[in-house]
Amino acid sequence: MTEVYINSSSMIPIDRYYEYDIYDLVVEAYKNFEGEYDLNNVDLIIVANAYSQKLNNSSLIAPKIAEKIGKPNVPAIKVDNADASGGAALLAAYSMIKSGMVNSILIVGVEKQSDYPSKYLNDAIATNLDDYMYYNGISSHSIAALLMRQYMKKYNVDRNYFANWAIKMHKNAIENPFAYLRFQVDLNTVINSQIISDPIRLFDVGARADGAAILLLSSNKTESSVKINNIVSAQARYEFSPSLPSVKMLRNKLGMKFTEKTGIEIHDSYSIMAALMLEESGIFENGKSLYNLDSINVNLGGGLKARGHAGGATALYQLAEAYMQLIGSFKGKKANVDNYLVISSDDLGIVSYGISLSR
Amino acid sequence: MKISPPQVWRNKRFMYKLTASKCESCGHVNFPYSSYCAKCGSKNVKKIEISGKGILESYTVSYQSRDGHEKGLPSVIGLVRLDEGVEIVAPIVDADLDKLKEGVKVEATLRRVYTDSYNGLIQYGIKFRVAEG
Ligand SMILES: [Zn+2]
Repeated sequence: MTEVYINSSSMIPIDRYYEYDIYDLVVEAYKNFEGEYDLNNVDLIIVANAYSQKLNNSSLIAPKIAEKIGKPNVPAIKVDNADASGGAALLAAYSMIKSGMVNSILIVGVEKQSDYPSKYLNDAIATNLDDYMYYNGISSHSIAALLMRQYMKKYNVDRNYFANWAIKMHKNAIENPFAYLRFQVDLNTVINSQIISDPIRLFDVGARADGAAILLLSSNKTESSVKINNIVSAQARYEFSPSLPSVKMLRNKLGMKFTEKTGIEIHDSYSIMAALMLEESGIFENGKSLYNLDSINVNLGGGLKARGHAGGATALYQLAEAYMQLIGSFKGKKANVDNYLVISSDDLGIVSYGISLSR
Repeated sequence: MKISPPQVWRNKRFMYKLTASKCESCGHVNFPYSSYCAKCGSKNVKKIEISGKGILESYTVSYQSRDGHEKGLPSVIGLVRLDEGVEIVAPIVDADLDKLKEGVKVEATLRRVYTDSYNGLIQYGIKFRVAEG
């Protein structure tokens, strides 16, 4: 049976790169990558990206990226499932290697989100919503705010409860040289920050900026290989009860056991999403997850909140960090883990990918 | 954003009226209308027009705009449970923020949503307001 391994990873810090276009971001990430591993035998390039047509006026970006990194003749395709594009790209790559169709795939995640003011970015992200909501000017922030409000009512928690997430993520990010927001925050900063869509404040939202991250997948095992044990996908609309059925489905499909040696990466696009994901995946009891963050190894690089949120490339950052934790090369906060759960999702948890990794 | 007349015409089913589908197999109401049930997958659905009356279950006041929607700030976005049993997220207009409460009755109203300064078109849509009495 063919196994699939992650054999190398590379990334640039998430930031606002005014001097770089979408291709420059990839080139910068790729430069660090060369020399690490033999890249002459790459059979296919898969690009994970969500908003290039709207934000960068650029289509057909996968073959263009192949050209820019000196592989003009390597077939290249783009995979888009909004902010879950990285999970979708991994699923595609994993399946193709597993089937024996190809042996080695470069997955490139890239998103260039800082070229316009936030109202344009909000508009691009709102294209994820239903037509009725999109045309009526509603934003994803407001949907997350409604979910948060429902959660507060149901479990009788206040705003301070959600601040636990931002405080923890910023604390983790300080140690990560590739994080976007490397500063500590306290309860006051979080609960007095700008209101985006009440009760969601600035510090409840994943910090979107530019980024590019790359993984090399192959069926060859090397000294620095991490095995992809399984990847499952699930899809179901969020419910205002509130719940994220897609994440609950992952838990059943993946059947993963959590131990103290398990590292966890979740898509914390909003602090409410972090709480729901930690609960729906079975890690914590409903309504209590954010009280217990010190007991698990979650989002050690700072999460979307503080490492930064690179849109469709975000899962590549999550996977690269998990990979580096497992081989012991992560430059930020380290944990003693031997297996990992990575959840890649769109910002409202409609599509989710659960990825199980081990050394 | 520029308005496309064919899109506006096509979107009348959810911009100018509330056309939904009701699944004859599982009872789920889908808004906007869909030929297949989003819950159970059945194509045994019938078209229904929603009354536009419901209850405000929850709401959020939004201070960040999307391109072209700056004028309505701050905007109230409600979670509305319509009498037909379907839950929708919709803009709430004319609300007195100090008095707005969860559980109040709301009703649909046709309002301007977006003006296209490029070619002078106006897009209308169904929003909700607190019902009289
Ligand atoms: Zn049905």
